[in-house]
Amino acid sequence: MNIFTTDFFFSIIRIATPILLATLAAVIGEKGGVSNIGLEGIMMMSALFGSLTAYWTGSWAVGLLAAMAVGLLEALLMGFFAFKLKTDIILVGTAVNMIGSGGTIFLVKVITNATMGKSLTSTTSLITKSLQVPSWNIPLIKDIPVIGKVISGHSLLTYIAFLLVFLTGVLLYKTPLGLNIRSVGENPNAASSVGVSVSRVRYITIGIGGILAGLGGAYMSMYYAMGWSLDMVAGRGFIALAAQSMGGGEPVGSMLAALIFGFAQALGIKVSATGVDSNLVAPIPYIVTILSLVVFALNQRRVEKHRHASALK
Amino acid sequence: MSKKNRTKFSIIRAAAAMGIALLVAFLLILLSADGANFSEKIAASGKALREMLVSPLFKKNGNFSMKNFSDVLAGMIPIMFTGLATCIMFSANQFNLGAEGGIMLGAFVTALVAIYAPIPGPLLMVVAVLAGGVAVGIVMLIPAVLKAKLGVSEMVNSLMLNYVIMYFLNYLMNSFLADTSKGITQTYAFQDNALIPQMIDNGSRLSWGFVIGIIMVILCWFFMYRTRWGYGIRMTGINQPFVMYSGMNVPLIIIISQVIGGVLAGMGGGIEMLGRYNVYNWSALPGYGWTGITVAILAGNNPAYVPLAAFFMSYLTKGCTLMSTNANVPSQLIDIIQAVIFIFFAAQQFLAGYRQKLVVKSAQEELAAKAAAMKAERSEQ
Repeated sequence: MNIFTTDFFFSIIRIATPILLATLAAVIGEKGGVSNIGLEGIMMMSALFGSLTAYWTGSWAVGLLAAMAVGLLEALLMGFFAFKLKTDIILVGTAVNMIGSGGTIFLVKVITNATMGKSLTSTTSLITKSLQVPSWNIPLIKDIPVIGKVISGHSLLTYIAFLLVFLTGVLLYKTPLGLNIRSVGENPNAASSVGVSVSRVRYITIGIGGILAGLGGAYMSMYYAMGWSLDMVAGRGFIALAAQSMGGGEPVGSMLAALIFGFAQALGIKVSATGVDSNLVAPIPYIVTILSLVVFALNQRRVEKHRHASALK
Repeated sequence: MSKKNRTKFSIIRAAAAMGIALLVAFLLILLSADGANFSEKIAASGKALREMLVSPLFKKNGNFSMKNFSDVLAGMIPIMFTGLATCIMFSANQFNLGAEGGIMLGAFVTALVAIYAPIPGPLLMVVAVLAGGVAVGIVMLIPAVLKAKLGVSEMVNSLMLNYVIMYFLNYLMNSFLADTSKGITQTYAFQDNALIPQMIDNGSRLSWGFVIGIIMVILCWFFMYRTRWGYGIRMTGINQPFVMYSGMNVPLIIIISQVIGGVLAGMGGGIEMLGRYNVYNWSALPGYGWTGITVAILAGNNPAYVPLAAFFMSYLTKGCTLMSTNANVPSQLIDIIQAVIFIFFAAQQFLAGYRQKLVVKSAQEELAAKAAAMKAERSEQ
């Protein structure tokens, strides 16, 4: 069986998109010295409210905006606890993840009970084809053989995600805000001494991350899975943290890392189609995460050794 | 600040955190309350909240409910273990979140030993639980060694391991171990001599595992506050360079803290299995690991306070379950309450202004007392 079909490469991009969006959130966060492990929880919450809003308003676009707004709001709330009340940011993230898991199921039951009179445990019945984030057949490119089939026909959010890789690079390296974010991340005291408002920059950093994770959540519930269900994000927010560190914290590198995860998962899906127990295939992305972190760390260590050795010469 | 004031402050702070959490809970219950108008809704929410807070101890007629109370105590068993595990790992500043997968793996390994190992008498019980603990301790070597030797984030790795463990165990269950004569996926029954006896026979499943849990609390406290290694673990959490320059082996401390955490989580899973069930039938992560994190935060990473924190969390969980059956509020409210309490507990600056006032006040009082004493001395002369 030939697994490397155009469909296969198409599905890599499709699977990598939400991871990529969350990874960019992690990239900007880490540059600004804000380790947001709550991306997972934010994605869950945005996925829920995105799909609900899309259903209420009958518009995917409004749903998308709602998902981004919820992501932003949750991130700013995290910022309040982390920066203002000085809660360890890892614990804030853990709390957000708790709410993202059990809390979302509470909310969906309560909200659907209040608005529709019956309490649902998922929103998969609400998101119809017309509420899905539309996909886009790129003119001209779609007619190119092979490449057209892989690149064209994805969700609008996929193209936005890849565009955002570029924009993240521009933001971080070509704008005054990016300079501030990086300087606060590297040395908050130095940044503060030259008049940068450290807390304002941190709020902006975590806020952008929240919006990006919100987009990732919207992709999950309004395109990838068509509706929200419990624990649907399934660790993608955590995988994003790994992708960030594997990509050396840079936008393009992290994008490649996100694609590797997409590859691992797409391969898993292919393998399970041949009749292998899905429980054996499902953990592949998580194992790949651990292995790639190890490879990355070993490589990092080798580079450092090399640098030390050449410095001694 | 004097010791008395410090205690006073921490009590007030804890009460405030719980108060805020209850307020949030009340507002959320209000969202879901039935009622034609606002005042009816308020009344219904009040009733639901009362249900949550009171019913774990008292029956409808106001009498003490032994059954509910023993349910609460039984609920403490697994989260005491995950709480202790998290305490020790967090004390060393190791944000290993693997207690969740750890308790599942521990339960599984213990179950296997309890089913298949030909060991006579109560020895089987002991071996099974220890096997669960050792298995998880070994698995925790993965994030621990990777952190200590390569600096790879133990947090990401432990989270990934949770998923790997869950899927792998489900695979083993589906493919090899399930009792196919049953409609649901479960193992064959444990041997009778593996079951941990119950303390009270009222269906609460309050086993003697509770006592083992309390013993482990004491041992962990002793280990953390009275031994060299415990000191090393705590110091690594406070000031890692200090530990390094004073000649202790930091990588080893990092590894040991996570392995001990793993052993505790695994034992907890085993004890929960043998005390509550007679077959293994978990197919998803049980959530005890996350509650264990909350327990550790509430206990301030001090094992001595773990039983108290575990009692509190178990009480709330039972309250939420009862509320969902009696007042039709989804029981998952517990996750939100848990997150709110825990985030305020961990907030260093929460009520910092008030603490400042207390510090100033006690300092002023001390000065005034000193001045008065000096005055008295002078007038004597």
